[in-house]
Amino acid sequence: MAIVAQTSNLGKIFWPALAWLISIIFFFPIFWMVLTSFKTDADAVKPEFLIFFKPTLENYFNMTDNYDYWRFAINSTITSIFATLFSLFVGVPASYVMAFNPTKNTKNILIWMLSTKMLPAAAVLYPMTFITKNFLNIYDTHFLIILVLCLINLPIVIWMLFTYFKEIPKEIIEASRMDGVNTWGELKEIIIPLAWGGLASTALLCFIFCWNEAYWTVRLTTNEAATLSKLIEGNRAPEGLFFGRLSAVSSAAVAPIVILGWFCQRQLVKGLTFGAVK
Amino acid sequence: MSNKSLLRLLQAPSIILLLLWMLIPLGMTLYFSFIRYVLNNLRKPEWTTPSISNWRGLGNYEYVLYKSKDFWFAVQNSLLIVGSIIILTVIFGLAISILINRTFPGRGIVRVLLISPFFVMPSVNAVLWINMILDPVLGLNGLAIEGLNQILKDLQDLPLLGRFFSLWPVFEPISFRATQTSSYAVIIMVTWQWTPFAVLIFMTSLQSEDQQQIEAAILDGANAWSRFINLTIPHLARPISIVIMIQAIFHLSLYAEIEIVSRGNGNKNLPYLIGEFSSNNIGAASATGVFAVILANIVAIFLLRIVGKSLME
Repeated sequence: MAIVAQTSNLGKIFWPALAWLISIIFFFPIFWMVLTSFKTDADAVKPEFLIFFKPTLENYFNMTDNYDYWRFAINSTITSIFATLFSLFVGVPASYVMAFNPTKNTKNILIWMLSTKMLPAAAVLYPMTFITKNFLNIYDTHFLIILVLCLINLPIVIWMLFTYFKEIPKEIIEASRMDGVNTWGELKEIIIPLAWGGLASTALLCFIFCWNEAYWTVRLTTNEAATLSKLIEGNRAPEGLFFGRLSAVSSAAVAPIVILGWFCQRQLVKGLTFGAVK
Repeated sequence: MSNKSLLRLLQAPSIILLLLWMLIPLGMTLYFSFIRYVLNNLRKPEWTTPSISNWRGLGNYEYVLYKSKDFWFAVQNSLLIVGSIIILTVIFGLAISILINRTFPGRGIVRVLLISPFFVMPSVNAVLWINMILDPVLGLNGLAIEGLNQILKDLQDLPLLGRFFSLWPVFEPISFRATQTSSYAVIIMVTWQWTPFAVLIFMTSLQSEDQQQIEAAILDGANAWSRFINLTIPHLARPISIVIMIQAIFHLSLYAEIEIVSRGNGNKNLPYLIGEFSSNNIGAASATGVFAVILANIVAIFLLRIVGKSLME
């Protein structure tokens, strides 16, 4: 309260107004993209239609014809969902063991897992292309993209789950062990129901990272398994001819994730700082 | 099955998967970096398949370091881009998080608006900025400069002040498609995207700041600036270092933005250079990759140490 009492009347208006102004500036590019998506390609580059124009949904209706949008969107959805499910499937048991039955190596394993995240992807670009193209023959398949997305997010998933599992009181686990519940039952009956919120936000964040991934999804696909990242990258230089339709397809590509992101902004801190910021 | 081996079994899949994911491609990169390996070579067809008999020792490293003119430029550019983004995001992040760390009407909406850029996919970010905002003719950059010139021109027709305005130059919009300016474009767009990340983390941390201590400082007559320097900054020391290091790791492997903004105009960072080499000279690509790993590891060691420390608490 003391702080509020100190701020002058001018400050009470000025600082919030500044906060509003800055947030509007930050949101402006997204707003601009969405606004442009309602202009025709011709209107989009005319200064006289900068703000006032006749809105049209034509760009959205033509997304399939212009860009084959839905094929890429379905690829993004499939790969992101399965990669998320797969990394939870592999990550939940592992983080359960690390949280509730730690050994002296657990800390090192966790740190090591994190370190795999820090390898620059570009360093292994050619080996990955080589293995998947010449050796495993899975280049440009959904399977490959799911596998890669799962692997690059697995460390984050395990770390997030680990921090959520840590929050479950030890007494509950100990009591159930006294009652003779086995490991499997413990995981299924106690941990998962108790950490449900944590699981959901881990899954959500993993899904967001998968959807936005822009290195492997571009470099390891040509057509069959190409995602939205690849679609937008492939249309990088419209030279002003197609601002309207490009804005529409871009808006459609980011809208689901920006909206999902609003719901998990708090969990983001946990997921991105590996529990080091509280 | 004993309980202990079951526990091992539960951990095994993720450990094995990550181990394979790390060791096999990295091992191959290391191997390729020591042999002559090119994809197309009519004179020496034996170099087009990887084989130990094409051993080149440190030759690829020497080639990358001394003969290819792009390597040092790419390293320099990587560091310029990463460094500028980190400095800008930390400064903006601190200012904004302190600004919104108070109750005011619409705070929830302000947060939502501020965080949104972080969730935009990198390729959309780059396409949006370079075309619709920074383009010198059709983007807002071009339109704004054109509008400014138009206003100046109109002002020249004013009776008395007209002479004064006729001395003003005609402004030229900045083009962000040249080698150096396109790295500024990358810095602008990534700063836009990652400032929300810094804000989010600093804000989370500010909420755990000791309010009583601040109130005590106010009672002692400490002004806002000295409270910021002596209380808030020390409190934020760890979040700041984490923001710096996480960003360093992410941005050292920045790729989509570079690819979209600067393809063909000579602007490149290390990942982009590796991509260029990979179209033919795999040996050089791999040697560059090894350098990129070393660079990333220098940062990673510090980050992992901090994370490891907080794990013990």
